Amino acid sequence: MADVFKKVEPAEYYRRHLTHDARPDGRQLLAFRDVVVSVGTIGTADGSALVRLGGGGTTVVCGVKAELASPRPDTPARGYVVPNVELPALCAATLRPGPPTALAQTLSQAMADLIENSGCVDAGALCVSPGRLVWALHVDAVCLAHNGNLADACAAAVVAALRDTTLPAITIDDETGRVRVDSGRERAPVAASAFPVAASFAKFDNDILFADPTAEEEALATATVTVATLEDGSLCLLHKAGGSAMTEKELQQCVDRAQVRGAELRHLVNKVAASKEC
Amino acid sequence: MTDLLLSEAEKMFIIHGVQDNLRVDGRSCDDYRHIELETDVVSSANGSARLKLSQTDVLVGVKADLTTPPTDNPDVGTLEFFVDCSANAAPTFEGRGGEDLARDISSTLARAYSSDRCSSSMLKALCVVPSEQCWVLYIDILILECGGSLYDAVSIAVKAALSSTKVPVVKVTSSDGGKPELELSDDPYDSLRINVKHAPCNVTLSKIGHSHVVDASLEEEVCSLASLMMAVTEEGTVTMLKKSACGSLHPESIYEMLETGKNVGLNLNKQLTRQLLDEECLHTQMGTNREPKGFL
Amino acid sequence: MLTSMLTSITIYLNAMPLDRMRIPGPEDSKPPFVYETPSGVDVSNLVKTNGCRKDGRKADHIRPMFIKCGIISQAQGSVYIEFNNTKVICGVYGPREFGKREDFSMNGRLTCDFKFATFSCKQRRQHQQDAEEKELSQLLLQSLSPAVCLHKFPKAQVDIYVIILENDGSALSAAVTCGSLALADAGIEMYDMVVACSARKYFNSILLDPTAAEEIVPMKTNESVDEGEMTVAYMPSLNQVSGLILKGEMHTQVCAQIMKSCLEGCNLIYPVLQQSLITSIRKSLSNVDLQGSKEL
Repeated sequence: MADVFKKVEPAEYYRRHLTHDARPDGRQLLAFRDVVVSVGTIGTADGSALVRLGGGGTTVVCGVKAELASPRPDTPARGYVVPNVELPALCAATLRPGPPTALAQTLSQAMADLIENSGCVDAGALCVSPGRLVWALHVDAVCLAHNGNLADACAAAVVAALRDTTLPAITIDDETGRVRVDSGRERAPVAASAFPVAASFAKFDNDILFADPTAEEEALATATVTVATLEDGSLCLLHKAGGSAMTEKELQQCVDRAQVRGAELRHLVNKVAASKEC
Repeated sequence: MTDLLLSEAEKMFIIHGVQDNLRVDGRSCDDYRHIELETDVVSSANGSARLKLSQTDVLVGVKADLTTPPTDNPDVGTLEFFVDCSANAAPTFEGRGGEDLARDISSTLARAYSSDRCSSSMLKALCVVPSEQCWVLYIDILILECGGSLYDAVSIAVKAALSSTKVPVVKVTSSDGGKPELELSDDPYDSLRINVKHAPCNVTLSKIGHSHVVDASLEEEVCSLASLMMAVTEEGTVTMLKKSACGSLHPESIYEMLETGKNVGLNLNKQLTRQLLDEECLHTQMGTNREPKGFL
Repeated sequence: MLTSMLTSITIYLNAMPLDRMRIPGPEDSKPPFVYETPSGVDVSNLVKTNGCRKDGRKADHIRPMFIKCGIISQAQGSVYIEFNNTKVICGVYGPREFGKREDFSMNGRLTCDFKFATFSCKQRRQHQQDAEEKELSQLLLQSLSPAVCLHKFPKAQVDIYVIILENDGSALSAAVTCGSLALADAGIEMYDMVVACSARKYFNSILLDPTAAEEIVPMKTNESVDEGEMTVAYMPSLNQVSGLILKGEMHTQVCAQIMKSCLEGCNLIYPVLQQSLITSIRKSLSNVDLQGSKEL
């Protein structure tokens, strides 16, 4: 019976749940799903991470491949960080093979902004020889299962993978100019101390605010907002999409909740990274 | 390819015939149809061949170009296969319709020519300056008409075109310290030939009923659910083996097909080599006066 | 120096249309391993004197497997398989309506899409499917379609998507195995499961289920005949081979020998697949029971 109601009148079905301050999956309005993070799972990548929300409802795997390239003439000492989000047809019934969808493009740009604004990659670590050779980090996040809130999952996977990334030492012979990988020296990490965490919220019926929407909730939402915070509480990304307006109070509520969420996730990722080293 | 509709009775007729080793056109199971082959048909290409296998008609042109060698193998040249399924051959090829078939043919060829002996005997000679310059041979295959056994026809034509290919000789004069300079030989007859000794010919064996046939005609292809493609060299070794079409085969029948394919392939290679020698003699005797048979 | 760099960039731009839908990286970048000394792959001594391989397996041992069904929440069927470091995920959608507007067909249609994740190999892969991935998609389709009862879903298609997350050898056979298990997980009617296994011929031994280091590298073998690798897709209960592909060069007797080894490998994997299917069905049934009791 409940299934039929949900199919016929999805909005009303949600409204009934929300009037009791609960969501169909049993969560509170501002509760996030459980997160599972594992790092260093892909041996062929220079750094990798897997993030699962709500027991595998949303799964994103991110791998970092480092390559050597010559820098842009106007920024001779800067490396490249190239994040891209793939939404393959594998992850959802609505997708078919083909060029990146609008969502994938938006997410790719959001990841690029997140990395750029937060400064979570150590700029110095990417420069091998100014004007001649720098590292290009290809950060590719592949969505394996899509059940809403890809922004948070992608951000967590991308940041965790970057924190897992290490680069081999490179030496350049001054006389011959020959580039050589120094396999004797230890690999160096690329991540800076900044650790951005994204948290997404959705609005329903223009007034009810809830966190970490599932795919069904995203389809019903009238607006979504993604907030990324750093340890010191500063914001590094704020993205609001959709038609309904947001009051200052609501936005503040989102930011406050995002801070708490950020602390939780940072703790989790650090714990996972520490357990990997042991 | 072309959608040929056969009635059940027609299919049964073909299947029963194959069972008795007598096919509709009078051949036995291991026979090819009549093959017409002519090399050097396109004067603007470095090498070319045209092959007619009954209704199947293909034209292959080889163009040589200088390029930088691949980083992982700096001392060899490369082969690039490109297949164009012309809309003249079948109405389904119109627009992008032939793309899948074209890609499949070119990847099958690339696989057949990727064996180490084949590539080292052919490609090492194509290197000009290691990790600086090498020849790339663009092998363009034009499908003019489909009448069954397309893969086999293409592979024979490619081998013939490669054997007729003349790559200009390039002299390397190293200017001190800098990049080596290349100089084309003045003598137009001074040319490099490709060694096709290890180049394979494709043999497709189609399973029809409980037997298998080589060189299936279009009608026979409709009756066959699965086929085995193998690329066989002059020595009887296999450089490519692939089950194609959407059917399955019993392991025992694969073993049988392997043996048949080897013998047919050996014979095919022998005949082809002899014909190519004859063709070569003709060319040297007649020189430029030879009247090309051309397209009609 | 600068001019040559600029020309190389323009050539690159001409060759490859810019992808405006993704964040662009540098025009030309090289993986660090090309600067490694000694360069290249060490292909010597794949088998130690005591008969063990580099990872400690005997020649005829397959790698340990980890299988998990129902991993993608949105898909009808999905499976994740690990063969040690080779990691594959497959999702099956359908039967659903034809993707493109197409003619009526009494038989259902199967589509396969095979992709290496960009970070899955030693050399970074591109986002768009390259020629190799397209060929592997085709081979995957040809291996799986004989097993599916296509007449059971007329006018509809089933889409099989495979992503290799990490490639440590035998990617195609892992994809076939994963795909057939995902079809079963989706409840698509099949005549039999398809199990695939690869084998590499290395001097006198046949190495089953080769790792990336044991796979054949073009132009890096000993240029001898009878070196190569084969992947066989097999339906064990029907005793039918649904897919077969060979790389390298060998005599037909050796082909038959390797194929036999592959079939033995398939027979080793088959019971593991059956077991994991039973486990996943048990699990889903107990979930239904739980929900049922809740509603009561």
